[in-house]
Amino acid sequence: MAMIETSNLVKSFDDLEVLKGIDFSMEKGEITAILGASGSGKSTFLRCLIDLEKVQDGSIWIEGNALVENGVYPTDKVCRQVCAKMGMVFQHFNLFPHMTVRDNLTMPAVLNDGMDKKEALHKCRTLLEKVGLADKELSLPSQLSGGQKQRVAIARALMRDPHVLLFDEPTSSLDPEIAGEVLEVIKDLATEKAVTMIIVTHQIGFAREVASRVVFMENGHVLADGTPEEVINNPESERVQTFLKKVL
Amino acid sequence: MTFATQFFSDMVLYTLPMLGGAIYTVTLTLVTGFLSIPLGFIFTLLRVSHSKIAQAITGFYVWVVRGTPLLLQLFFIYFALPYMPFVGQYLVFQKFPAACIAFVLNYAAYFCEIFRGGLLSIDNGQYEAAKVLGFNRYQTMTKIVIPQMVKVVLPAVSNECITLVKDTALIISIGVTEVLYFAKVAVNRDVTPLPLLFAAMLYLLLNLVLTRVFRRLEKRYAY
Repeated sequence: MAMIETSNLVKSFDDLEVLKGIDFSMEKGEITAILGASGSGKSTFLRCLIDLEKVQDGSIWIEGNALVENGVYPTDKVCRQVCAKMGMVFQHFNLFPHMTVRDNLTMPAVLNDGMDKKEALHKCRTLLEKVGLADKELSLPSQLSGGQKQRVAIARALMRDPHVLLFDEPTSSLDPEIAGEVLEVIKDLATEKAVTMIIVTHQIGFAREVASRVVFMENGHVLADGTPEEVINNPESERVQTFLKKVL
Repeated sequence: MTFATQFFSDMVLYTLPMLGGAIYTVTLTLVTGFLSIPLGFIFTLLRVSHSKIAQAITGFYVWVVRGTPLLLQLFFIYFALPYMPFVGQYLVFQKFPAACIAFVLNYAAYFCEIFRGGLLSIDNGQYEAAKVLGFNRYQTMTKIVIPQMVKVVLPAVSNECITLVKDTALIISIGVTEVLYFAKVAVNRDVTPLPLLFAAMLYLLLNLVLTRVFRRLEKRYAY
């Protein structure tokens, strides 16, 4: 069974068609990097997978459960259940600014996943250690640097034991030096192979190093799909070649 | 008698009856504050809801209430409502309850707009993060949005409450014997400006307390 499968996904914002029939399938443990120019639809695709955007047509299955079938969504509650084992890391972190790092991690777990408070705290500490921020447990997000915030955001997403983790340009709002520390954390996760990941990124080098598969999107279509070797090192499509020439 | 002792005895003489009137000022402020803030928030939720009818009704309400003088509304509720055809006989209020109704309805409209501004200031990313972390709509509001909104709206709410304390003086116009009433009577009777000065000090004192309370609240919500 595919971890994520989509068929003929169509998404438009008013008259602007952003996804033009995306067929995509991904197995457990795969790490997919999605590349493409701004406006190619890669972020929108990611947001559709976790129900932050509603598609107009097509289907999405998460671990065999339908999030949407032929453009028809089930109730909100069912959607929430289907997406419960997915996590997302945003470009702008989206930590809750009025809560400490600890509460950012434990509160959703206790409230929404029925986790015991003690267990949540223990897990919070383990994860903060994992992302190298054990000493920031009681800090407020405003007291952290951008890179630290993003690492907290990753730890927060991991609190729910996601089967799939989606990264939406996780380092785009960080300067290159700080981006490195976030990429290291993602790399560590990738080597563990415990979580299936989709990473929308502009960091071609990082994609080549970490991803087991690279998808290149252009104008709402998948233009290339294969191993990093195939898509980045020896691109067949002329468009991919020009894009890579520009960014590399 | 020295100037100081004369001033002090005048202050006691004029302020004592005003303190009786201050009960109305304080009660009206508290009633309006405690009722119009939640009511205003309910209006806000209706105003930002998906229902076009709810949006239209609250939009119209805010337009009417903010667009007409509070004094007129006060007169309308106290003097005019009893003359309404058919229902007028059920809408006869005593002076102070009429004042409370007018103030609560008026201030709710302002709070509605303040809270709407607060809601609009919350970044969409907060809703999205809440959603992917499994919060339902109610939890998103109570745990994520409202606590952040409070911080944003506190200065404006504080401002509005200070205006509220001063606006209570308007109820003199429907014959409620609040602070300003006693001051005005004393000025006319004794031909002296002092009572108004003492009344001003009383309002300033009330607002000083209020300002302190809000400053403390703002500190609590500083993050």
